[in-house]
Amino acid sequence: MTNEAKGVTREGWRLLFATLKLQQRALIMGACVGLAWTLGKVAVPQLTKLAIDRGIEKNGSLLLWTMLILAAAVIAGVFAGWRRYIAFRESRLTETMLRERIFAQIQGLHVGYHDKAQTGQLMSRSSSDLQQVQGFVVNIPIFVSQITMVIGVVVILFFSDPILAAVSLFPLPFINISARSFSHKIHPAVMAVQQEQAQLANIVEESVSGIRVVKGFGAEAVQQGKLNIEADDIRRESMRAARIRSRFLPAIDLLPSLGLVAVLGLGGHRVINGDMSLGGLVAFNTYLTMLIWPMRNIGMTVAFAQRAASALLRVNEILSEVPAIADAVEPRKLPQAGLAQPVGAVSFDNVVFGYDIGHADITVLNGLSLTIAPGESVAIVGATGSGKSTITRLLLRFYDPQSGSITLDGVDLRDLTLSDLRRAVGVVFEDTLLFNDTVSANIAFAKPEINQEIVIRAAKLAGAHEFIMQLPQQYDTVLGERGFSLSGGQRQRIAIARAIVADSRVLVLDDATSAVDPTKEHEIRDALATVMRGRTTLVIAHRPATIELADRAVLLDNGVIAAVGTHHELLATNEKYREVLAAWSSPQVVE
Amino acid sequence: MWSGGGRGGGRSVVDEDEKLDRSQTRVVLIRSIKMAGEFRRTAALAMFYVVITVLCALAGPVLVRHGIDSGINAKDARVLNMTVIAYLVVVAVAYVIGRLQYVALNSAGEGFLRLLRIRVFTQMQRQSMAFFDREKAGVLVARMTADVESMSELVQWGLMQFLSSFLLLFFAFFLLLSMSWQLTLISLIVFPFLIAASVKFQRDSSRAYLEVREKVGANLSALQEGITGVRVIQAYAREDEQIRRFKESNRELFRSHLYSVKVSTWYFGLIEFAGIASSALIVGLGGFLVHRGSVSLGTVVAFVLLLATLFDPVQQLSQLYNTLQSAAASLHKLFAIIDAEPDVEESTHPTPLPSTGNLVVENITFAYAGSAKPALDNVSVTLTAGTRLALVGPTGAGKSTLAKLMARLYDPQEGSVSFGGINLRDASMEDLRGRIVVIPQEGFLFDGSVRDNLLIAKPDATEAELLAALDRLGLRERFEALPEGLNTEVRERGSRLSAGERQLVALSRAALVDPAVLVLDEATSNLDPGTEMLIEAALERLMVGRSVIVVAHRLSTVQRADKIAVVADAQIAEIGTHDELVALNGHYALLAATWNKTQPH
Repeated sequence: MTNEAKGVTREGWRLLFATLKLQQRALIMGACVGLAWTLGKVAVPQLTKLAIDRGIEKNGSLLLWTMLILAAAVIAGVFAGWRRYIAFRESRLTETMLRERIFAQIQGLHVGYHDKAQTGQLMSRSSSDLQQVQGFVVNIPIFVSQITMVIGVVVILFFSDPILAAVSLFPLPFINISARSFSHKIHPAVMAVQQEQAQLANIVEESVSGIRVVKGFGAEAVQQGKLNIEADDIRRESMRAARIRSRFLPAIDLLPSLGLVAVLGLGGHRVINGDMSLGGLVAFNTYLTMLIWPMRNIGMTVAFAQRAASALLRVNEILSEVPAIADAVEPRKLPQAGLAQPVGAVSFDNVVFGYDIGHADITVLNGLSLTIAPGESVAIVGATGSGKSTITRLLLRFYDPQSGSITLDGVDLRDLTLSDLRRAVGVVFEDTLLFNDTVSANIAFAKPEINQEIVIRAAKLAGAHEFIMQLPQQYDTVLGERGFSLSGGQRQRIAIARAIVADSRVLVLDDATSAVDPTKEHEIRDALATVMRGRTTLVIAHRPATIELADRAVLLDNGVIAAVGTHHELLATNEKYREVLAAWSSPQVVE
Repeated sequence: MWSGGGRGGGRSVVDEDEKLDRSQTRVVLIRSIKMAGEFRRTAALAMFYVVITVLCALAGPVLVRHGIDSGINAKDARVLNMTVIAYLVVVAVAYVIGRLQYVALNSAGEGFLRLLRIRVFTQMQRQSMAFFDREKAGVLVARMTADVESMSELVQWGLMQFLSSFLLLFFAFFLLLSMSWQLTLISLIVFPFLIAASVKFQRDSSRAYLEVREKVGANLSALQEGITGVRVIQAYAREDEQIRRFKESNRELFRSHLYSVKVSTWYFGLIEFAGIASSALIVGLGGFLVHRGSVSLGTVVAFVLLLATLFDPVQQLSQLYNTLQSAAASLHKLFAIIDAEPDVEESTHPTPLPSTGNLVVENITFAYAGSAKPALDNVSVTLTAGTRLALVGPTGAGKSTLAKLMARLYDPQEGSVSFGGINLRDASMEDLRGRIVVIPQEGFLFDGSVRDNLLIAKPDATEAELLAALDRLGLRERFEALPEGLNTEVRERGSRLSAGERQLVALSRAALVDPAVLVLDEATSNLDPGTEMLIEAALERLMVGRSVIVVAHRLSTVQRADKIAVVADAQIAEIGTHDELVALNGHYALLAATWNKTQPH
């Protein structure tokens, strides 16, 4: 291991102990319970020995010894169950609390972080990595009691017969070493199998979701070929893992038998010579068997701990990330709406912005200035990549501009709290995300406590009421990944209803009608017009019908405003505007 | 992908979470044994090894008894030494056979799983579109992954453990009996309790496990929602609410874990107690018998030692029984897929299709499985070679269904679809896919390079053919401009390519096949303008000289068709040219008027 790797591992251990500190008391309790179990367990062979030597061989009281062994059985049984309970409770608690922390952290991290992070990665941090941690923590109480048991038994054996102890214990360290080495070797092999399984899953997944292409081109054989390769790979990797198991597991199983052989041989001669009692021999034997499982487990626990430490390191990468977009230290409040003072004034002042994608010099907005009066609606028109959606994201403060400023009702966005800002700006995104909850809850997303009438009114306004009433449980139908799936147009209408409920002073419609069937668009247009009335609105759209809803249109080109006017003015006077719109709509018949 | 088109309910062949009864389990097991035919020899060898290792395991305590009774108690050092040597030999044999046993059992098991994966996938792909409409994608993927993997644990060690535990108990019983029937009876005292406890434990814990699994699923989806939905959540400032909800699901998961531990706590305590208590009984009652002279001391010792080795197998058996049951349930589901007969079947004696011809739909009636109302009711239409037919109509009226039937993605219940006078049912799939190509709304990409994705349409195409096809559409330069040209890896379902580029791939695939008939489902949503123009131009080129059926959403597309069919209420309501239909002043005229209002010219 290199020095750096050692440092990293140490950091992982530090994290592990810091995490466990919170559960110190319960874990110590678990260890004590474990010690009690050890006492009961270790007493048994001694009692058996005494029973054989004094009870059976010397015709002593059998009942006494039997009762004593039974008492030890009760102690061992009660404490074994108790220890297990504490171990699992505490390990699940560690896992649960860490998962909560990760989730809260994820929710607070800026969008720029999420742009780069992969969903799968974040998911596995909070599932499989935490399982590694749990897998270690659950072993702590057992680990403690097993260590004490090993020490206790070894001491007893050496006291009763040092030479026999030395000979019979000789194979035991090898069990521990083998178990550790096995755990290290099998882990990458198992990972490799899982990797191959994931690749196979990927092929099945793409064949199923792309079945129309597969069927359409008769590409079944191609996919079958890919699958066969993966099936072969899985078998190969599994066999590699099997060979590792075959190398270690029988050895680990049989090493203790060598100790037993030694006890029989060496101990047997001692009994014949009268140096040892037969009960002593049996006890020796039983003690040796008692050591097998702990020796194995201790080796594996050490390997578990190492894995847990590196898993926690990965978890900590998320937890230690500092959100780049955060509330102002001394936040200002937005002015309240009054009769004389309408709200919703938005102003972009010389805004320069580029995404952090490794090319710092590539900017999307190059000194954009745009002022929108309270209650005014503005359509933003531009080709792909012109920065239309970036405007939405900056207004929501998903990102901060590199230079220039954005104000809402005269307050710089950076001086507001994030929740004040985002309650003031409602948005309908192009791809609508529905949560795994009822239709009502999805619509009332911004204000969960709102009453049902308002939800229904919003749905009616958004042209969603009709299809919602046809769903299996109407407004109580559960949507989302695990629920009922809606069409793109239906989802967008739910999102519009959501924005209506939010009732924010500024509304952004980011390509909000793109998935709506053109023949149904006019229904939603009416809804949008109602929502937009008297509210500052930014409309990002391609369809002339939607653009027309806005008081004026601006043409975005090269990250700056290239032209301003009403839709019809621009259509009449601006060549570039016509070009952009024509490109979006379907080409005309060429004749 | 395909918009519209009713999804039939239909009974799924792959039910979730069913529990098998005993006879089903037996059927499944017999069938797997039959299927494992080619691995039978390896499996038999593995059994043989298992028997030997079990015998070795039992030999230990027997040798110890022999050593004590005939060696130590008889003060015969020679017998003792011989016993020790015999014990060493047994250990050595057990080690060698143990290694062989792992390899043999795994090689048979993994071979079986490989075969199962391949078979199920083959059969899955043979199914018609109706099957894929019916089954959820996630469920099908789970069959090929979770269900097969649930057996791999069994294959890796479970089956071996099960067998050896079973054999160990079986042999041990006779061994104990042969040593002393009195002591055997004594040791059996605890077993009924143990078995009853194990059964109850299994029942409780598998219920608890189901609960845990459900909560894990809910928790994972809450987690995923929080990650994928983070932009919406932040946009609406709902982080706190979302965290609160996650905590709730997380705590529920914790409680279900805790419940499953509570259910097992008493059991593990009891096992621990029973193990020690039974040796107490042997020592106590056995000692009494020694005093009376009915058993030897060595026998008592051997019993104490043997009993210690018997507790693990009992526990393991009851645990593995559960694993075995769920594996049988998994197998049952997998066999259901293997047994599903594809409802669009390839003809056994196919008639070759002509290179070109009219596509004729005659009196077809079609209903999706589980739906009483037909999606198409006695529909006839002819697509003359080299012409374009646009299908229009309200969502769900049957236009997508008609298009799918014309490409034989489904078979009609009544009537026929023929190409060049040959019924599509009589043609080979290969011929059919060479003549009629369906281009879905969105270009679907598979993992691999752009080239791999193009070649999926025609795996044996040469580089020259591929480039020629791209040239025909004027797309060669567009693809070569990608970072690594045609070798650009598309990654994660084409995230590196734009939606428009994905669509271009779809068109190029069709060009590579060079079919006589194209079936198009027009996209409803917008693409980026530059690519949109490129797509339109490429599509125009692709359509030259071919018959085209297009499920149309745009006026401009419809106007370019030679014939327009209005599909409404499972029927063709109107058919004719644009002008004819406008003059008719029916459905189409109404539709055209709405389009005129909402779409620019």
